[in-house]
Amino acid sequence: MRSETLSMLGKGGRARIARLPEGEMRSRFIRIGLMEGAVVSCLEKLPGGTIVLVFNHQEVALSGDLAASIEVARL
Amino acid sequence: MDDVTTTHRPHKHLRTESVPTDPLKPRIVLVGNPNVGKSVVFNYLSGLYVDVSNFPGTTIEVSKATYLNYELFDTPGIYGVSSFNDEERVARDIILNGDIIINVVDAVHLERDLFLTQQLIDMGKRVGLVVNMMDEAKRQKIAVDLQHLEEELGVPVIGTVATKNKGLEEIHDLVVRAREGKQNRTLHADLHARLSTVGSQGEALLLMEGDEVIAERHGVPPTDISVREEIYIDRRNRVNRVLQRSVSDVETGRRLASMIGRWSVSPWFGFPILAVVLYALYMFVGVLVAQDLVGLTEDTIGKGIVEFNIKSWIAGHAATTVDVDVLDAEGETAETRSFRFDEGLQADRALWKEAREFPGASDAEFTFTYDNPWLVLFFGEFGAVTMTLTYLVFLLLPLVLGFYFALSVLEDSGYLPRLATLVDRALRFVGLNGRAVIPLILGFGCVTMATITTRLLGTQREKTIATTILQLAIPCSAQLGVIAALLATAGPLATLIYTAVIFSFLVIVGTVMHRTLPGETSPLLIDLPHMRMPQLNNVTKKTLFKTWFFMKEASPWFFIGALVVGVLQVTGALFSIMDALEPLVVGWLQLPREAATAFVMGLVRRDFGAAGMFHLELSAFQIVAALITITLFVPCVASLMVMLKERGLREGMIIWFGSLFLALFVGGVVSQVLI
Ligand SMILES: Nc1nc2c(ncn2[C@@H]2O[C@H](COP(=O)(O)OP(=O)(O)OP(=O)(O)O)[C@@H](O)[C@H]2O)c(=O)[nH]1
Ligand SMILES: [Mg+2]
Repeated sequence: MRSETLSMLGKGGRARIARLPEGEMRSRFIRIGLMEGAVVSCLEKLPGGTIVLVFNHQEVALSGDLAASIEVARL
Repeated sequence: MDDVTTTHRPHKHLRTESVPTDPLKPRIVLVGNPNVGKSVVFNYLSGLYVDVSNFPGTTIEVSKATYLNYELFDTPGIYGVSSFNDEERVARDIILNGDIIINVVDAVHLERDLFLTQQLIDMGKRVGLVVNMMDEAKRQKIAVDLQHLEEELGVPVIGTVATKNKGLEEIHDLVVRAREGKQNRTLHADLHARLSTVGSQGEALLLMEGDEVIAERHGVPPTDISVREEIYIDRRNRVNRVLQRSVSDVETGRRLASMIGRWSVSPWFGFPILAVVLYALYMFVGVLVAQDLVGLTEDTIGKGIVEFNIKSWIAGHAATTVDVDVLDAEGETAETRSFRFDEGLQADRALWKEAREFPGASDAEFTFTYDNPWLVLFFGEFGAVTMTLTYLVFLLLPLVLGFYFALSVLEDSGYLPRLATLVDRALRFVGLNGRAVIPLILGFGCVTMATITTRLLGTQREKTIATTILQLAIPCSAQLGVIAALLATAGPLATLIYTAVIFSFLVIVGTVMHRTLPGETSPLLIDLPHMRMPQLNNVTKKTLFKTWFFMKEASPWFFIGALVVGVLQVTGALFSIMDALEPLVVGWLQLPREAATAFVMGLVRRDFGAAGMFHLELSAFQIVAALITITLFVPCVASLMVMLKERGLREGMIIWFGSLFLALFVGGVVSQVLI
């Protein structure tokens, strides 16, 4: 499967998290429930890449570079 | 993985550090994710007010109170116990030292929040769980089975609506029943093996999770981070399993509030909504408060009544010259007369009466010049006491109240995190992330106030950049009024040039700092809370609380600033400085020599600098050059002091002298090009 990142997800798109970046951010993502296997959908995408995700009933905004560091499989 | 419930026999604990505590009183610590209602619960239990707002991370410092025979602590919101940021480091130590943990969670965000809960349980702490926001959960048709949650986690659970005081009466019972919960058996065994090296199970866990601070404290090498990840994933999975059995929900309905929330982060509606918000903010703070209300309080009440009475009372028995300027309808001086009182006003009441009646029905300004330099220092034209009083109470107080009120409304509605999302990309150019929008907006109210708020930024680097931009390129509301008035006389071209120069300068300075300062911009990862209707009672409480905090923190600095300038004036040093500045002002900036006075006065109050320009006959381009210099230069003394406190002496001084130099440089270049 081709590797895509979260930043390629458009508004309304859904994806399953495939791989998180290494390091501290990884632990922070896991803490909020953004871990490998979790399904997220994109609520909004702003020019410049900032993305608003919905998962587990929560809305979380991520800057573009963070989104680009997360590999996903599109659903 | 199996779960175990340990018998309730406390492990031996070791005090880890130094939050001032009373050894005889058991400590209750309120812990939870950002924005879940910890501070509301704290307020309920302690009767004290601490900051409550719908913005993650408002509580930055730890609050302490007494509750029955316990000591009660409110901590900053965290996503887990570790050392990823300042809030976590602060909360971590309080938690390690706590006897009973009251963990507040958001019923709507249990997936997120229970991670921390499980971590606290794994630390071997006695925990009681408050599932708050039950009203939101109900509205979103999320059913939380508290009974089941209690069985799964092994700790007592209550459901509350903290803002309506619902369920909070059970907290006392919860405190008494708090106990150690179900822990991961393998992990628990591992932790116990380490108890001989560290004092408590909590520290043992943090050590295993690779916490470097704890490792250093015990002189052991930090554990590899892969261990932490394993523990985290395990914990996450456990939480998800617990939830599957305790929470059920129906599809979220589309409420108007959530629609607005969505629009405010959409590329199409987001910016128009922002424009409306800013316009409303401007009309409320910029026009209603800063012009109408402050006009009344500062001139009429502050100068006309309070200062006048203080000064004439002081002059009662002191040698004084009173100059009376009669003003015409335009506010220009029409007639001036001097009255001399060699032995004070009381000694020559007839003359004093004549002086007061001299203006007749017209407006007038009374200037009291005392012979005694001490009186001049404290009560004269720029007297430290009189000027500080008028400035603080009659100018700044209404402004700060107005600004905090507006900010509280925005905060409690849940709009601010969305605003941070919207502008994140733009702020990244200057090395900041979206969160920095809060201090930057506040800066247009009062730079001093905004400088204090940079505390909420994640890293030292961001605090430095934000502070510099605030000090340099953001005119505060006191200045804005004068700037707007002067630009109005100078015309649209001048306004355009002024705005373009200031804005590009802001971008350039930010970009240069972003490129040259070591480190990276911390990425934005922010929760968007539900939009809700701000509650007047909380907004009011918060406005008063923040205003009080600000006034307490900033007032002494305004006084000291005024005193410094007063000393310079009395000793004549002020005039030497002005003389020294003259070549620069006349030759380089191409302004009349009196402009030097305005610049120096700007040191005390930024608006004085701009206001001083009113009386000079300036061409449109001279106005531009002068205003650019004034805007970039002279942070008022109060903001300088607060900056020194927040950023340290060295960095503060670099920023201050840097802004002085850049202001003169940019102002001069503009002047040389235009004129
Ligand atoms: N609807 C609803 N709102 C609540 C409830 N409890 C608190 N709030 C609101 O939630 C927001 C956050 O409350 P705070 O007490 O400031 O939260 P906190 O946990 O102290 O937040 P930080 O200090 O930022 O970590 C405020 O707007 C409260 O009015 C509740 O039970 N129901
Ligand atoms: Mg709080």
